[in-house]
Amino acid sequence: MHDHHDRLTILMMGNPNVGKSALFNRLTGANAVVSNYPGTTVDVTKGSLRKDRHSYEIIDVPGAYSLEARDAAEEVAVRILDTHPDAVVMIILDATRVERGLYLALEVIERGAPCIVALNMMDVAQDKQIAVDTAEMQRVLGIPVVATTAISAEGVKHLADMIRKAQVADLSAIRSRLNGQEPDQGAVARCAGCGGGGCR
Amino acid sequence: MGLTADERWDLVDAIAQRTVAFGISRQTTGDVLGELTVKPLTGIPTALAVLYAFWSIFGSFAGALVTDGFMIKLFDGYWLPWMQAAWPDPGSVHYFLFVGDPAAETCFEAFGMLTSGLFVSFGVVLPAIFVFYLMMTLLEDSGYLPRLAVLMDTLLHKIGLHGYAIVPAILGLGCNVPAVTATRTLETKKQRFIMMTLLALFIPCGAQLGIMLQVVPDTVGWVLLYLLIGFVVFGYVLSRVIPGSNPEILIDVPPYRWPQRANVAKKLWNKTRGFLTNAVPFVMLGILIVNILYLTGFIGWLADLAAPLFVTWFGVPKETVGPLLAAFLRKDLAVAQLATIPMTSYQMITAVVLISIYFPCVATFAMMVREGPRQLLAAIGVLAAVVLIYGGLIHAVGILLGVA
Repeated sequence: MHDHHDRLTILMMGNPNVGKSALFNRLTGANAVVSNYPGTTVDVTKGSLRKDRHSYEIIDVPGAYSLEARDAAEEVAVRILDTHPDAVVMIILDATRVERGLYLALEVIERGAPCIVALNMMDVAQDKQIAVDTAEMQRVLGIPVVATTAISAEGVKHLADMIRKAQVADLSAIRSRLNGQEPDQGAVARCAGCGGGGCR
Repeated sequence: MGLTADERWDLVDAIAQRTVAFGISRQTTGDVLGELTVKPLTGIPTALAVLYAFWSIFGSFAGALVTDGFMIKLFDGYWLPWMQAAWPDPGSVHYFLFVGDPAAETCFEAFGMLTSGLFVSFGVVLPAIFVFYLMMTLLEDSGYLPRLAVLMDTLLHKIGLHGYAIVPAILGLGCNVPAVTATRTLETKKQRFIMMTLLALFIPCGAQLGIMLQVVPDTVGWVLLYLLIGFVVFGYVLSRVIPGSNPEILIDVPPYRWPQRANVAKKLWNKTRGFLTNAVPFVMLGILIVNILYLTGFIGWLADLAAPLFVTWFGVPKETVGPLLAAFLRKDLAVAQLATIPMTSYQMITAVVLISIYFPCVATFAMMVREGPRQLLAAIGVLAAVVLIYGGLIHAVGILLGVA
């Protein structure tokens, strides 16, 4: 395994104003502009991360509510996804607004890209008495789910560790697990880092 | 593959039901403030107070405290006389380029690279953009901008824009370059075209505002009023003339957060560094080019050529053509150059407005080429028409008021 041969590209995607750029800066040490309004990032910022022996190119993608692009910033997001078919997608969810983020997450999952979820803004969620069960979300989706608070860097190291565990999620398997069945042991077992206990 | 939106939402609901639990949350101070600042009854006075505070801190810190209180004394009292005495050959070309007028008493009048260039860059514009970006970052990071957008929505819809267009407009008050890119968050081509055109025409940048505080301290309000009226009137006209739709979109209003000191410092440093590396060389280059054009007689020739338009139609001295050329490189430089031309205070107002609207600076122009190359020709056409019409109108208003 030589770094320059398998330099993985990670696309950071999520709704506007969920903290993608803040998380991106934490992961890469880069200087993406971070503000508290949706639509701060309208262009592409690239950075790199070395973790153990792996080297990743990380791309901070403009926020999008859906892959059916509505404005020029979302068009940029879709174009990046199209032009990086082999990339791992890191889906950033706002822990206080999980649903709308999951919609985009499912769209990405449907495209068959290997994914990992960062459940960001856990601090705000706690303040608002919103509890998100990361272990259960990981079990249902069959991809790693990591709780993070980008603003204080909590969970960021763990997130970086879990990137290599990203995997392709299977919609029908998600459905069966939601119905209480356990269809394919394989997919979940491969995420072995935490013994099914949730990647907290 | 290929779920419908409804199927996808069903799946989302099922996953969320499994994983998300809501406790009883009490209303925080932030929530209450959040409500108060978007409801029109309390929100509009708040917005006016915020904008007024912004402007008065900008003016008192950058204008009165740093520039008047310190920089002018330093540059006019020590630097300029020293340069005039120390630089050899007052009659030579290099003296003219680097020091400028040997008899000048202020750094505005001298117009050499090392006198006016340094004064405009470091004495006037640097403190202005520094305090501007400090306050801007606080607005950005606290979460106030989207709330302002909600308040402005009704008004901006009247001129064919969505409320969210206030974000590029406010960013443009810092610098038009990132503002042009920020129009990407607008939904339709029509909205983007209108916003880009209005940005290029009527939104002065922070550097320009800073220098305006120095050159026209007493009438800067009139200049801003003319720009604001132009923004609204031509926005309205453009929204009627340009085909396309202006759909309603929902604005995502984030909760208030305390700006983080590290993030504020980082942004401030990035902007300041950007100014030092990108803008200062352009100011210097601008002075160099303008001075060479003067020496070769080009500006004099152009001024005579443009005299009918400038004197009769706009009502400003024909020498204004020089600053207008410089405005393509740096608008702050152009406004500074106006200070060297003798004219009445109303002519000065007109000239400052003309510099703002006549053409975007080269950096903004390059960004517009990148963002909408196809619409650019249309934008330039609109620009030319607006400059002619509005410049004439301002002159006409002056005649009616009996001041021009």
